[in-house]
Amino acid sequence: MPKAVAITLLAVAITALISVASVQAQSDRSEAPRAVREAPGEFEFVRLAYAANRYGQGGWRRQMWRTDWPEAEHHFLQGISRLTRVAAAENGRILTALDEDIFDYPWMYAVEVGFWHLNSQEAARVRDYLLRGGFLMVDDFHGVREWASFVASMNRVFPDRPIVEIPEDDEAFHVIYDLDQKIQIPSLQIIYSGVTWEKGGFVPHWRGIYDDDGRLMVAINFNMDLGDAWEHADWPEYPENMTALAYRFGINYLVYAMTH
Amino acid sequence: MFETLFKYPRDDFARSELVYAGDWPLWLLILLIGGAVAGISWLLYRRRHVVAAPQMLAVWLLQVAMLALVIWVLLQPALRIEQLRAGENAVALVLDHSESMAYGESESRLQQAVRSLKSPLAEDEALNLSVQHYEISDRARPVDNFLQSAPAGTSTSIAASLTDVLREARFSPLAAIVFSSDGADTSGGVSPADLAAIAGFGVPVHTLGVGRERMPEDIELTAITLPDKALPGSTITARVSIRHDAPGNTRIKVYNGDDLLESLPVELRPDTNITTSLVDIELAEAGHHHLRFSVDGIPGERELRNNSRSTLVTVADQTYRILYYEGEPRWEYKFMRRALADEEDIQIATLLRVSPNKYYRQGIDSADQLENGFPTTRDELFAYDALIVGSVEAASLSDAQQAFIHDFVSQRGGSLLMLAGPNGLGNGGWGQSNIASVLPARLPPSTNNTFFRKKAAAVLTPQGADDQILRIADSADANRDAWNDMPEVADYQVTGSLRPAAVTLLNVRTDVGEIPLLIAQQYGRGQAYILASGGTWRWQMSMPVEDQSHETFWRQLLRALVAAAPNSVSLRASGDAGSTGVSLRAEFRDDAFRPVDDIGVTAIVTHQDGDTWSLELAPSAEEPGVFRAEVSPTASGTWYFEAVAERNGEPVDTARTSVHYESGQAEYFGFRRDSRALQRLSEATGGRFLEADELDALPDLLRYSSSGITETDYRPIWDAPAVFLLLLLLKGGEWLLRRRWSTI
Repeated sequence: MPKAVAITLLAVAITALISVASVQAQSDRSEAPRAVREAPGEFEFVRLAYAANRYGQGGWRRQMWRTDWPEAEHHFLQGISRLTRVAAAENGRILTALDEDIFDYPWMYAVEVGFWHLNSQEAARVRDYLLRGGFLMVDDFHGVREWASFVASMNRVFPDRPIVEIPEDDEAFHVIYDLDQKIQIPSLQIIYSGVTWEKGGFVPHWRGIYDDDGRLMVAINFNMDLGDAWEHADWPEYPENMTALAYRFGINYLVYAMTH
Repeated sequence: MFETLFKYPRDDFARSELVYAGDWPLWLLILLIGGAVAGISWLLYRRRHVVAAPQMLAVWLLQVAMLALVIWVLLQPALRIEQLRAGENAVALVLDHSESMAYGESESRLQQAVRSLKSPLAEDEALNLSVQHYEISDRARPVDNFLQSAPAGTSTSIAASLTDVLREARFSPLAAIVFSSDGADTSGGVSPADLAAIAGFGVPVHTLGVGRERMPEDIELTAITLPDKALPGSTITARVSIRHDAPGNTRIKVYNGDDLLESLPVELRPDTNITTSLVDIELAEAGHHHLRFSVDGIPGERELRNNSRSTLVTVADQTYRILYYEGEPRWEYKFMRRALADEEDIQIATLLRVSPNKYYRQGIDSADQLENGFPTTRDELFAYDALIVGSVEAASLSDAQQAFIHDFVSQRGGSLLMLAGPNGLGNGGWGQSNIASVLPARLPPSTNNTFFRKKAAAVLTPQGADDQILRIADSADANRDAWNDMPEVADYQVTGSLRPAAVTLLNVRTDVGEIPLLIAQQYGRGQAYILASGGTWRWQMSMPVEDQSHETFWRQLLRALVAAAPNSVSLRASGDAGSTGVSLRAEFRDDAFRPVDDIGVTAIVTHQDGDTWSLELAPSAEEPGVFRAEVSPTASGTWYFEAVAERNGEPVDTARTSVHYESGQAEYFGFRRDSRALQRLSEATGGRFLEADELDALPDLLRYSSSGITETDYRPIWDAPAVFLLLLLLKGGEWLLRRRWSTI
């Protein structure tokens, strides 16, 4: 085996171990014996931590679930408190799919899901979570390859449930704001490149997975990046109207999840 | 011994008055006593240097006592006693001739009663009473003699029957009534008013008890309690009470027509005479369901007619409406609505304040429903059967809207459920609102935070264990286990002290001990509940997908809320095998649930075979809008009732119901001897209650009766041996003492 290949394999293995250990550490913290915790609010923003797939195991990509953290939820939570009557906690939480506490938070956010990898145990847990009434919003993934990666894990969650375009008249787009105009919400790179798309994801899609009673369980923001819009709400260079729109989509998803 | 010493029996002293035959003037008596006491005192005073003071006092006391006794004898004391004049009085012998008197073993109750009425009076020829015979059941009828024919009365009204006897005999010198009975009364018993009316005749009623108070060989289905209204597919809980005098085992069976719905084994506990069991019954289809409950006979049981009763449950084919007013988006809202997603008979309209400037409505019928927020008129609110108020400030409603809620519960009979939340209950200022008195707890002031987002376990209370709302497993034991295994709720709120009528169904285990979680109370015509948590959604999220505990809890709670809410027009008929008739109660209210009084109500009564007649219902003086009538069914079977309200000759509303009635069975319910009822009757009239072995006392009771034509007899007692014995003791005692002190 050439020396370069051996070094590369070793690096990949170490990176994978570090990634798994990092995710596991989150889980261990929550499983430690705890006193009765007083929750800081009715709604706590939960970010799903996951192990990355083979595309996301190298370099900075080893913890893709951390993307935009913590500024995205920090800004978004303030927006929720300002614009709605939801009693939102000031700070978010990070949980893995296998964390028992996951069922205490019926709303969950996963970012860069083009790089996620849910094994069968995690997929079963997410399926359980959603069927019991939980809601998952996924965001910030682009192009054909990342879509395929997302679907690969999502199919393990729901092998037989289709992913569909959310209809215009769905309450998710009207519960507080009437979101009739579907505009691609770009990531920060719009400042540098001037384009709203990336990785070939030219057309934004608001897709979803529904339960048997027609209620949206998974909101899928494909070819857009609401997280970046929240995160950079305080950047003068980032388009303010995109941030405002991202707030509105996020708030609608949240209030929909709390009412349906 | 008493009679030897005092000449006469003790009872003569009890029933007589002490008088003095001597006609000495009072002034002379006082002068004599004063002079005698002074003389004794002076004589002893003269000897003060010879006799010590204590000895002198003892002699003085003995001499004064003897002197007092002599003066008392000189007054010629006597007993004045009233007794019946021989040959001039009557006595009414009253025999209970209802069917329950046929019961017995070697000798029936009727035979015992006839024997008891004949034997003591036959011996008392000196009194020479004129004897009148009556047989009673629902009324009294005079008879020539007691023939011991089979009892025929299918009902008993002791009060009405004795009143008949007293009225008929009011012009004759009736000395007393002697009433032999088992005390079993199908009319509901002798009320205090009845007792006062009977006592008002001034004739003592002596009661002779027959039969047994304890009958170990018999069990009786005494009561069935269950809601008279249910939703299709509901499981209702019947509370079935069985009377028994011995431990044992039986089985409760519930039939709907010929279909056996439930069969439940029951242990008759040795520590009580009434064993109550809960029977869950599922009624799927709408309509009137005549449920028949029966208990299997125990070994040796001879009378099985009191082992079966029937009752009507109406499964209403209607959609109930609930208004849920919520002040903030939260998980409880979402999961409650999800739990009711498959509920076809309940429509829940929600008004949710999602943002400071926006209300979000769900479950509405039309675009204008709740368009202006919470109902602003009484009629709009009263169109709902139940109201849920979530985490929202009381100040979000006007005083008038709060008053509507108060009236919604107290007058409309709607149900109110208050939920916990950061802006709910005490935090929301509801403790100082117009509806504070409606709630089952005195909410703390809004200045204190009472809401805590801490997980805590729900704990079933004994009352909750019996309540259908909290039945999430089939059996009582499984239900208790299920609640023990329930995940914690996400939060709880301190409710404050409970009101006296409040019932706690669930507690929550907190850092400072258990506090109420689910409480309820009746308020006016409606009910008010507090669920002191906004976190029952954790039950859904923390349990497997297929677990239905959360859904079942909410469905049953909300079904209980709406089922308790009355319709504006209702007709209820109560009566079964255990009653002697059917009571009709019709209630008419307008759309705003105000009582309607300017109507006349006629009931059309129809038997299953087609016999029909009509009768007027009388307006109730106590309950506006309520009309009542008593119906005496002429046959067993199903009876249909239709109450028609008319105004100026035009029908304005109708209500229908039916009842399954078994004629002639009432005598076998509550047919153990009721000694207390007979005792109360005797005590109220100045008579006596006698057991079988006390019949010898009856002639004397009659001879000295306070009623009838009497004569006065004077019996001197000054010459009683006890008087002379006392004189001897006083003088002998003095002599012995003075001998001992050597003063004589």
